[in-house]
Amino acid sequence: MATFLLEIRTEEIPAAALPGARRQLEDLFSVQLAEAGFADLEITPLSTSRRLSVVVKNLPDRQADRSEVMTGPPSRVAVDSDGNPTPAGEGFARKVGLPFDQIGRVETEKGEYLTATVVHKGRDTSEILAEIVSTVVAALRFPKMMRWGDGTPIFVRPVHGVVALLGSEVIRCALFGVEASRSTVGHRVHSPETFELESADGYAETMIERGVVVDPAERKQRLEELAEALASEAGARVHPDPELMAEHVELVEWPGLIAGSFEERFLELPPEVVVTTLRYHQKCLILENGDNGLQDAFIGVIDRKDDPEGLIRQGNEWVIGARLADAGFFFAEDRKRTLAELVPGLDRLEFHRVLGSLADKAARVGKLAAVFANALDANVAPEQLHTAAGLAKADLLTNMVGEFPELQGIMGGHYLRLEGADDGLWTAVRDHYAPVGFEGAVPESVTGKFLGVADRLDTVAGLFAVGERPSGSKDPFGLRRAAQGAVKIVAEAGWEVDLNEMIQAAADAVADFSKDGEAAVADAVTAFVADRVRRWLTDVVKVSGDTADAVMSADWSNLPAAVARAEALERVRTSESFRILALAFKRVRNITDGQPDRGVDQELFEMAEERELFAATEEFAEHLQGLLPKRQVEEAFLAMEPIAEILERFFVEVLVMCEDERVRDNRMALLKQLGQQFMELADLSKLQVEGGEK
Amino acid sequence: MDLQTLILDLQRYWADCGCIIQQPYDVEVGAGTMHPESFLRVLGPEPYRVAYVQPSRRPADARYGENPFRLGRHLQLQVILKPSPDDVQELYLKSLGVLGIDPAVHDIRFEEDNWESPTLGAWGVGWQVLLDGMEITQFTYFQQAGGIELSPISAELTYGLERIAMFLQRKDSIYDIEWGGGVAYGAVRLEDERESSIYGFEVADVEMLRRHFEDWESEAKRCLEHEPPLVIPAVEATLKTSHLFNLLDARGAISVTERVGLIARVRRNAVAAARASLEQREALGFPLAGDVDIPSGEAD
Repeated sequence: MATFLLEIRTEEIPAAALPGARRQLEDLFSVQLAEAGFADLEITPLSTSRRLSVVVKNLPDRQADRSEVMTGPPSRVAVDSDGNPTPAGEGFARKVGLPFDQIGRVETEKGEYLTATVVHKGRDTSEILAEIVSTVVAALRFPKMMRWGDGTPIFVRPVHGVVALLGSEVIRCALFGVEASRSTVGHRVHSPETFELESADGYAETMIERGVVVDPAERKQRLEELAEALASEAGARVHPDPELMAEHVELVEWPGLIAGSFEERFLELPPEVVVTTLRYHQKCLILENGDNGLQDAFIGVIDRKDDPEGLIRQGNEWVIGARLADAGFFFAEDRKRTLAELVPGLDRLEFHRVLGSLADKAARVGKLAAVFANALDANVAPEQLHTAAGLAKADLLTNMVGEFPELQGIMGGHYLRLEGADDGLWTAVRDHYAPVGFEGAVPESVTGKFLGVADRLDTVAGLFAVGERPSGSKDPFGLRRAAQGAVKIVAEAGWEVDLNEMIQAAADAVADFSKDGEAAVADAVTAFVADRVRRWLTDVVKVSGDTADAVMSADWSNLPAAVARAEALERVRTSESFRILALAFKRVRNITDGQPDRGVDQELFEMAEERELFAATEEFAEHLQGLLPKRQVEEAFLAMEPIAEILERFFVEVLVMCEDERVRDNRMALLKQLGQQFMELADLSKLQVEGGEK
Repeated sequence: MDLQTLILDLQRYWADCGCIIQQPYDVEVGAGTMHPESFLRVLGPEPYRVAYVQPSRRPADARYGENPFRLGRHLQLQVILKPSPDDVQELYLKSLGVLGIDPAVHDIRFEEDNWESPTLGAWGVGWQVLLDGMEITQFTYFQQAGGIELSPISAELTYGLERIAMFLQRKDSIYDIEWGGGVAYGAVRLEDERESSIYGFEVADVEMLRRHFEDWESEAKRCLEHEPPLVIPAVEATLKTSHLFNLLDARGAISVTERVGLIARVRRNAVAAARASLEQREALGFPLAGDVDIPSGEAD
């Protein structure tokens, strides 16, 4: 058994491309090697910023021989009456490479046929690998490919070396015009000279001696341990940041760290500014002290073992100092004016070509927020919301947000706080972009919640009105996330407000921009929001899909109520009664859908089961009236249970579609009435249960 | 190392690597890439190596001389190596040695940073080069220019000279870096940064700029429609429109919608000029093809 090594040495590969490249290497090699008949292999994809490698263990020197039974022409065609081969018989013998007297016969349904067992000699593994290497590398895909030099090769970055070894033998192949060999190089600083790998075995260990850790998992572990050690030396801890760690792992060949510090005065800047500078612009790990406060220190990742003259720390400290000073400059500039002074400038910032400026948008958002506030009897004046909506967008005109767009909202909040605005207002401005989708906390203040929901509904309705609807994977304006954010705020705030009305109000405000009219916009937005609500129920409330469907089919416009019903139904639906109810309710729906509302006439009842069902319906209706205002949703669902048996009996004994039209209509009316009562809670016909058709 | 020594040494180094040392283009440009020695030379099959300093005007980045890190006009040292040599990274790293930066004691990183110029119909793939956390160079393999797929591929290196000087001199303000002979950058440039900021943000006559945009745009078209097309005059007129666009932008006179349209108008002429240039070189029989002695290895 031998080990195979492929190493493709390149210029620096983008960090984001590497995890996918490793997955592809593993997948492609395992498929290709399996097709070549190799089994029980151990395939390990490896990479650094400057090389893509793969190690395959347990390869035999050659493929196993493989025998194949081939069937030829029928004997009556291939053999003449003297038992000698005809040209057809000779042809088959030639094809399988055997003398005719070694050709066998096989009896089939269609008569006797010629047959032969052909043994395919296994080929040398190295020969097969040479082919597989070309196939695999040609199949590798990267987010962005490039050409270099004479313009013909296409890969993620220029290729400088290829190592292909089976055991200690070089596999003869070439990639991008580079012949495979056993020569490679180590780390650019620690071991830049070319050297020869004796064997594919021990690749990772040899490379570590050459200053290169080829296993990303090992680099990750080393980085984490180093970071922790450095942090505890500084009496702090590293702010957990798996995403940044994962990126650093891909950016280096040897993971090293430096610790540095910056002037304490920069801690007077809003912490988000410091974090953005350190984390997003310099890719530093953030240090926290005991109270989650920032330290005037950072940890930087370097691609080498050491900082021999301290120059790297010095340089990083200088850059970070300069960046923080730059941010401080913007901060001081912005503080020269109040946020309110910037608001008029919003009419120069375009929100959307058709939908107008951000001033226009802020005005719509203020109004829509007021509609919400009014519907909820909240004690917030419309003027207050109008002002807040303008202030919420004003930081887009500050230097700081111009420089750090990701700090939108956050900077506006800080500036207002420093101006002495009340907590409800500045936190509203700070929080109104949160949550992103279902991720993150909802705004703290009620004003923030109003702005958050109104801003998103206006965005969704507006862009729907002008035809910018998401489709498939395309959602350039992030409308799905926007609608999800709105759903989360309404659900977590527990707002018992009619969402249909709110969507209608949002659609009305942008109706002028639509070619299809406001009704079409409102319908489309309603369906779009409904999808997000369903997702909230299944992904966050964690009820099953058909529970969500059952509840939403009844009503979802009062979101907190729908959530409560979904939770209750998910708990109670496991009983046998609900299985029967679900099946029976499908029949109820089938019979009564499209039927007009009629009163039930007790005089027309002919059978005890009708009277029984009527009484049960009346009783259930009474329960509902008592329970629902008290939010006793689960009890209300449980009140359905006794009806299961009654309904089942009804369907056994009573023929709804009877001859007498008046009796028939009355029976349908009875079922319809029951259905309407049930629909106060859920459309049980949507539940998928055993015994029903899907 | 003062700014002028830095420039002189880098130019010497790249000259030794077989580059022609060109001069800054005498039309306002936003980046060294717009100099015809980059924008046009990367087209077609002819090998070429060139380096030059290019003052780059970005009126919107101006800060009245008050921000210690930002300038409305800064200096780039631009290098084009066509075709991109195999040892381009090594050549680049050696150029840092010329500046006294020894890679053995620094952390030098190539982090993905792709480049795109919508006005030039150009894009490339590459990195920003970080020296101890400081971005010092933009490194790009041009893939397309003037809407034309390139072959061979050129490597473009753009050094941000003031930033490098600040870093090397450990100065906290651009205006404090030493230009040469003990004279500070601020003593040379501060006043013009102030004045240009006032002009760009407050004074520039929007109507006049718009008019001139139209004028130079049609002038570029006229040059391109001329028989035979006048390539360099067309490029120069197009560069004018690009600069006028930047001035209008700094002045806050361009809405988001209009922006897309104006960029497309600049690009149309840039693309047409690139095509005309390629045709012109072809008609001339690509005179530099196979005729230029490009050293394949390192500088002596």
